[in-house]
Amino acid sequence: MRFTKAETVEEALHAMAAGARPIAGGSDLMVAARQGKSPLPESIVAIDRIPALSRMDADERGMRIGAAVSHAQLEVDPRIVADYTALADAAALVGSPATRHVGTIGGNIMNSSPAMDTGAPLVVLDGRVELRSLDRTRQIDISEMWTGPGQSVAAVDELCTAILLPERAPRSGSGYVRLEYRRAMEIAVVGAAASVTLAPDGDLLAAISVALTAVAPTIVSVEIPKEAIGRPVDDDLLDRIAVAASERAQPISDVRASARYRKHIVGVMARRAAASAFGRARGETIGVPLNRTAGIGAP
Amino acid sequence: MVISESRPFLRADGPDKVTGSGRYVADISLTGMAAAKFKYAGMAHGRITKLDLEAARSIPGVYAVLTHKDVPDVRFGAIPDRKLFASDVVRFEGEVVAAVAAIDAATAARAVEAIVVEYEPLPIVDDLEAALDENSPLVHESWADYDADHVVRDRNVASFSSIERGDVEAGMAEADLVVTSRFEADASHAVPIEPRGILAQWEGDRVTIWSSTQVPFQARAGVCETLGLATNKVRIIVPHLGGGFGGKCGFHFEAHVAALARAVRRPVKLVFTREEEFVAPDRRREGMTIDVTSGIRRDGTLVARRGRMLLDNGAYTADADFFPQLAAMHLAGPYKIPNVLIESSLVYTNRQPSGSVRAPTAPQACWALEAHTDELADAVGMDPVAFRRLNAIDSGSVGVVGQTYGEIGLQQCINAAVEEIEYGSDLPPDEAVGVAIGWWPSFPGPSGVYIKIDDDGAGQIITGAQECGTGAVMTIPHIVADELGMQPGDFELIYQDTGAAPYDVGATGSQTLLNNGRAALAGARELARQLKELAAEHLEASTEDIVLQSGEASVVGSPASSVSIVELAAIAADNNLLLAHGSSEVIETPPLVGSTCVGDQGVAAWSAPQFSCHAVRVRLDRDTGVVRVLEVSTAHDSGTIINPLGATGQVEGGVLMGIGQALTEGTRYDEDGRQLNAGLLEYKLQTIADAPTIATRFIEIDTPDAGPHGAKGLAEAPNVATAGAIANAIAKLVGHPIRRLPMTAERVWETL
Amino acid sequence: MTYILTVNGTDYPVDADVTRNLLSVIREVVGLTGTKEGCDDCECGACMVLLDGRPVNSCSYLAVQAQGCAITTIEGLQSDGDLHPLQRHMLESGAVQCGFCTPGMIVSARALLDANPDPDDEDIRIGLSGNLCRCTGYARIIEAVRKTAAGDSG
Repeated sequence: MRFTKAETVEEALHAMAAGARPIAGGSDLMVAARQGKSPLPESIVAIDRIPALSRMDADERGMRIGAAVSHAQLEVDPRIVADYTALADAAALVGSPATRHVGTIGGNIMNSSPAMDTGAPLVVLDGRVELRSLDRTRQIDISEMWTGPGQSVAAVDELCTAILLPERAPRSGSGYVRLEYRRAMEIAVVGAAASVTLAPDGDLLAAISVALTAVAPTIVSVEIPKEAIGRPVDDDLLDRIAVAASERAQPISDVRASARYRKHIVGVMARRAAASAFGRARGETIGVPLNRTAGIGAP
Repeated sequence: MVISESRPFLRADGPDKVTGSGRYVADISLTGMAAAKFKYAGMAHGRITKLDLEAARSIPGVYAVLTHKDVPDVRFGAIPDRKLFASDVVRFEGEVVAAVAAIDAATAARAVEAIVVEYEPLPIVDDLEAALDENSPLVHESWADYDADHVVRDRNVASFSSIERGDVEAGMAEADLVVTSRFEADASHAVPIEPRGILAQWEGDRVTIWSSTQVPFQARAGVCETLGLATNKVRIIVPHLGGGFGGKCGFHFEAHVAALARAVRRPVKLVFTREEEFVAPDRRREGMTIDVTSGIRRDGTLVARRGRMLLDNGAYTADADFFPQLAAMHLAGPYKIPNVLIESSLVYTNRQPSGSVRAPTAPQACWALEAHTDELADAVGMDPVAFRRLNAIDSGSVGVVGQTYGEIGLQQCINAAVEEIEYGSDLPPDEAVGVAIGWWPSFPGPSGVYIKIDDDGAGQIITGAQECGTGAVMTIPHIVADELGMQPGDFELIYQDTGAAPYDVGATGSQTLLNNGRAALAGARELARQLKELAAEHLEASTEDIVLQSGEASVVGSPASSVSIVELAAIAADNNLLLAHGSSEVIETPPLVGSTCVGDQGVAAWSAPQFSCHAVRVRLDRDTGVVRVLEVSTAHDSGTIINPLGATGQVEGGVLMGIGQALTEGTRYDEDGRQLNAGLLEYKLQTIADAPTIATRFIEIDTPDAGPHGAKGLAEAPNVATAGAIANAIAKLVGHPIRRLPMTAERVWETL
Repeated sequence: MTYILTVNGTDYPVDADVTRNLLSVIREVVGLTGTKEGCDDCECGACMVLLDGRPVNSCSYLAVQAQGCAITTIEGLQSDGDLHPLQRHMLESGAVQCGFCTPGMIVSARALLDANPDPDDEDIRIGLSGNLCRCTGYARIIEAVRKTAAGDSG
């Protein structure tokens, strides 16, 4: 195996053009190799020391998150926690403190697992992925990024350099919650993110989006009926969201849960994520991560 | 109490462990050492039709590939039904077919890949009920030829036991109410954090084996039996042991590694991956199906119990031959029941062998019994705690096998645990408290120590006992020092080395302090006699008047007349050495009275039984079925507590393991009999984030026929009642018992 | 491939296959065996080390990638032969049984306390949630970290 360390994005892109695979923390690659699932690539370029990829920048248009920003950075970043709370909810749940330090958001996105915790939040927050290769830079909607488990639209020589999150509308809130059998060291069996924007006056719904984790070959969005807009966020609406989420889910049965259970639980999670997003939109303080501040995961 | 606040327990192996300087097997390397890897069957049941080693042997760096042809043709096990390597039929996925030694682990792994084995698939036996059918395929076609007259067996039933007392038919007829319940428990695992390691090195015709075993003398016996060696040719040394919980009991792979090392004429080391640790050892906690029917009077009095239990033995009988009787005792429970018939069968399947994992059979059987007991209380409209107070045995009670119990603290345990958790107080609607009681025998056995004091006054304790983390061996210097008026730190501990120490059963059956503690006490008293005689001569006093304290031997009543133990040691060094030994005396097992046990394995009447009551408060998420344990209060009668800090640690660890068994730890199999969750992501231990508050009380009852100073065993007892208590708390919230263990979120949700 | 790793303040020249993980290089090349291997997928925490103060599962981290980082292992916690307060409190609180998880647990606790000198019990639980212990039930471990944070000399 050939190993190089890139100091700049350009160096990384040249290495990738020559066939190298980029790694940031490298955990997914190492675990897969150690468990004999897939050997390490012939050539690796480390991108974790490229300063431009480890930065978060905010301006009036929104936020630019470098692809090598770690989950540990995301879960405590004040702007993420305040405005893109679902992403903080998710980042704070990933694995353990060590995996949160090593694992990066770009690595997560490129790994393209339907069980990734940060995926559904990025979808409901209208994230865009910046992909660069030697000859072009492009941005695509995160919702168009994944094509199946472990598969994305990115070409082999394309490096994920950043995630772009648009400025949030006033009176917006978001949340991510997942099923956990224990309070740490979990992988999402089922999860859901929701984003809610309220009308400027009163608590009527102006916009809502919901996305689901680990119930389909990729992270998927839920169609919320248009009639929901302009209505109050009440039990009836939350029930409809739960039903819509369950209907959207096409889960599998495996050692973690049956399809039937997943289909039910994803509705519960969507309901809880939406309710919390609504609360946050209204200005309620609901701590991060949702899993440990509300409900069953509370201390 | 030997260890008190004024003399706190600082474990002698602690500094090694907190600094990282302590060596475990995987940390030891020898010059020229080769790496071992096993070729496993990878399928649950099949006949080997082709075994081709040529490709593997031709890989550069591969030193040897061994199969059944390279070792003596010996069957071993509690029922001798297994050989070191499969020769004809493989009966579970983790069965060893071949072993490789190579220049490094990666080369050995490549060689394992290159071994060609072909199988004719055989029908898989993996259903306990179906295995009993007379038309069922047999796991062992030649079961009848195995030499095992000590068990009652037939076809796929490896061992059958029953407990019968009174007349169960008449008892049921006499009852006002009869309640029947059925439960099913999945298999689970011990999961020590250290995966096992074995390193073998031959010098001439002698082999030294460093092994992460809980039972070095048993491991030695296994190597001797399977390789045809005398005990004085095999030395087993256990460096620090990274946990066991029964998973490292028995004889496992020491002989394979020794055979490899002999073949390649260099040291060979085997270190398991986590997956191997799940799949290969013959120490899985057995799955179980439990049918239980009890007859009660309207006032709540138990009058009869009938039970039928099927225990999943897996493919081979490692040490589970006595499990049916032990399981039956746990389905009878610590209750007064005049009419009992419990029949219990250990059933062969094409799964990993079962074996002694911490309190074998008890957590599952107690879970079922205690859930059933709450159903009984409910049937007569009694509070479950009151029902237990009425029916549980007390001092002087006669139990189900006719044993009359002496001074015991079960009722006090119930009182303490429910008081601590404030049983009966108001709770939020999604919370409830459940209570369960349990029991566990103490296992008397042979054990020995040598104790000496060298010329500078420094002491040495050489014990056969094995430290698996519980601190039991670390307590031995305290017991010895206490007798000699010395300090625990005055003694070096030489332990877990069959080449140095007298016999001990090992870190199994919670027996270390019980037996080795008595041996240490006997040895220390012998050494005290030697010191006193020497001091009496030196001080011109009578031996009876000498007292040993604070490092001095002095004449009672005249403290000025004294000599230090250091001085006595110097005197002794030129003459009769200060050198003692001690053995644990035999404790008679109580007889069965008025009861019969078909297939008796000697575990129905119990010496120095231990008792416990656990009360847990849980919270249920009704939308998901997820249960969290918020608080546990425990009370244990394990006799006198010699080491409070160590004892509390045993209870807390046992409770947490019990929570895992109750909620998240269960082995899942695919339809081909292979484990689906042989890793720590999918087999979910409780994390520190899940750990509840655990309160521990000890009901200290000085028990004759127990261990040193009246101590009973302790390490397994805390693992008995937790799952049952959790079951009862969940049942209060959902209105019925969850009849499958573990009570996963999905299983709870399915019943809502 | 030859490179330098800085472990506990000492530079070690490493000549090892580039595919090797940090754990195996620390244990077999640098020769420090206090860091343990309990699994192969970041699920037990026995292999925890610090890279520039951050906790990392060394089993799933490429050794070459740790070039230029200050690597701290359990052997780096003692100073002048004295136990680190975390080590002392783990010992005195009864937080050590089999000891196999202990080095990783202490390393994680060190990272936690460096980042948050005054953690509450929930902070401790989350901070150590990547380290499995099968022996203790965790209560004594929480107590040891609490006492260390409080500067308890007892």
